[in-house]
Amino acid sequence: MNPTRVLIVEDESRIRKFLRISLEAHDYIVQESRLGAEGLELCAARQPDLLILDLGLPDMDGIQVLKRLREWSDLPVIVLSVRAAEAEKVAALDLGANDYMTKPFGVSELLARIRVLLRDRGPDSTSPQVLESDGLKMNLLTREVTRDGQRVHLARKEYDLLHLLLAHPGRVLTHRHILTEIWGPDRNEETHYLRVLVRQLRIKLGDDPTAPRYIQTAQGVGYRLAPGTD
Amino acid sequence: MKQAQTHEPSSALAMPHWKAYFIALASVIITTGLAFMLHRVLPLASLSLLFLTGILIVSARLGLRAGLAASILSFLAYNFFFTTPLHTFAVHDDGDVATLLFFLIMATISGNLAARMHREMRQRQDSLHRISKMFEFGRRMSSAAQTGQVLTALVDELAEELNSPVAVLVPGDDGQWREAARTSSAAVPLESVQEAWDRASDEPLALDGRLFLKLGAGPVAMVVVDRAPGQQEAQDLARSFCDQAAIALDRTLLASDLDEARVATEREQLRTALLSSLSHDLRTPLASVIGSTSSVLECGAAISEDDRNELLRNTLEEARRLDRYIQNLLDMTRIGQGGLSLERNWVELHDIVSGATARLDLVPGQFPLTVDIPRDFPLLWVHGALLEQALVNLLDNATRYSPRDGHIGITARQQGDQAIIEVTDQGPGIPPGEREKVFDMFYTASDSGDSLGTGLGLAICRGMVAAHAGSVAAGEGPGGKGTRMRITLPLAQHSGPVPER
Repeated sequence: MNPTRVLIVEDESRIRKFLRISLEAHDYIVQESRLGAEGLELCAARQPDLLILDLGLPDMDGIQVLKRLREWSDLPVIVLSVRAAEAEKVAALDLGANDYMTKPFGVSELLARIRVLLRDRGPDSTSPQVLESDGLKMNLLTREVTRDGQRVHLARKEYDLLHLLLAHPGRVLTHRHILTEIWGPDRNEETHYLRVLVRQLRIKLGDDPTAPRYIQTAQGVGYRLAPGTD
Repeated sequence: MKQAQTHEPSSALAMPHWKAYFIALASVIITTGLAFMLHRVLPLASLSLLFLTGILIVSARLGLRAGLAASILSFLAYNFFFTTPLHTFAVHDDGDVATLLFFLIMATISGNLAARMHREMRQRQDSLHRISKMFEFGRRMSSAAQTGQVLTALVDELAEELNSPVAVLVPGDDGQWREAARTSSAAVPLESVQEAWDRASDEPLALDGRLFLKLGAGPVAMVVVDRAPGQQEAQDLARSFCDQAAIALDRTLLASDLDEARVATEREQLRTALLSSLSHDLRTPLASVIGSTSSVLECGAAISEDDRNELLRNTLEEARRLDRYIQNLLDMTRIGQGGLSLERNWVELHDIVSGATARLDLVPGQFPLTVDIPRDFPLLWVHGALLEQALVNLLDNATRYSPRDGHIGITARQQGDQAIIEVTDQGPGIPPGEREKVFDMFYTASDSGDSLGTGLGLAICRGMVAAHAGSVAAGEGPGGKGTRMRITLPLAQHSGPVPER
């Protein structure tokens, strides 16, 4: 199998350094750029399998880079942002970024998210009939859901939510995305509905909300299904 | 809206002239009619008194001119209808001439008296009015707490009394004039203000149809009346209002100076505390980071892999601690400036707790941490990140002062329309006298040997909870040991249940 190529667009050299070292240690091939414009060119020229994009670049707004990229590519993108810039992260996700990391971050979490994104784009990207993650199994044909073998009975919207999360295990989904998928575009500001629904689903799945095994909250951004070991 | 007082000439009463003359004529006709009815019964002399009565009444009510008119008309009627030769205007008798004369004199005297009486009554009313206005204004001045209020009251009062737009201008340090208060239609003549300022003394100055008055000891400002009143009286009135305002201004300006001084002192104190905290609390974790990593580099293969990993773990922990401290500093500056803008949303308390424990690397079940929050605890309408930070700070404290196997608890319950969230630990506890002081900025427990805390955590916690109209208090832990930190937050209602599609 071809080794995976990762492009890092980040202006801080020491961050690029530890990213390169860690990624190469996991057999990724790493390319780097300090600037947004150059990064876009490299995306076009070298066709990486994944992009790590810092939102605070000196020459261009990271969001702009993302917008331009999404005009012609659906390359998986993880954006790097600072804490308390929640709105920026949500904007990036809504514009097509697939996940985010908040600086300062430890590299193990980044590696986990990279794995998740690359797995999603694996060669077997035809729609599967069964979705599973960490003991949860959802059969899309029979609509049967089991957890560690035990049958779980879900209401309509609870099923929809779990389906959405299971389709992208480990990846963050913004509130707006989830609300739009489940309630439609008119209700995509109503976080209250979503919180209540998540609560119900967690109860059905036997998930401890203060230390959830399945449904994790990305505060101020959205939800993700815990990546699970695969 | 009150109408402005106008001061009319003394002889006219509140009635147009033609109307007065008409009434005079009418009364003479009535009197003549009466005289006809009575002239067989009464002697001629009495008839003249009848006419005189009519004249007196007209004169007293309608003023001098009408009275004179009535007296002339009365004489003519009396002469024509009642004196010999009848039906002529000829006068034969000396007595008749005298009658006419007396008619005229009576009319004049009573007319004058009446006019004077009216005038004095009006003047008295005006005086009373003015006095009560001054009194009212005086009250407003003494109760005004701020300079702005004083100036606004002044322009409103002057505008009403002088029936003109009014503005107050203050000179800036750069020589530019800017307006401090004005009525809505006032035009601000920036060019003429400087000239008026240079020329004017303590007395009001009339210039280009406007009236300029200097305001306050200093003086501090210039009052500009768009339409200068003609009378001296009005100018004097304006001056008295300005004098009263000046007294109030002395007071309000002094008060705001004191306020500024106080704020400046507080800011200075905070800065000092911040600098000393920075110096210590930034350097301490850095000392570990630099020490640990340089050890790894220096000793290389000479140290075991376990030791090396431990040093690196220390480095990571201390660096994270530094990160939390920096976050606290940032939060503190935001709170200090009153600049905490809340982006509220519906937040699950459980999520806040799991976020907070994750940031501190606490795992319920591993560390002796128990979480007891009902599954259906109401959603909070709060700014999630801020509340999480508040909880992180409380937990940080709890873990820091907890003994090795000490139990830490997080509980929550609903009480009416309040949420009560508590963090308990089994540490040394906080003495009653210090339970408020711990929330002061940069306060650290003095008996804590290696002062682990930065002293900011609790202050920030309080700031963030207070921004949500909540409160946080320290108390005795369960069983009388340790500490219980209690956060109280108002709960909000969401309208309606979750809709099905």
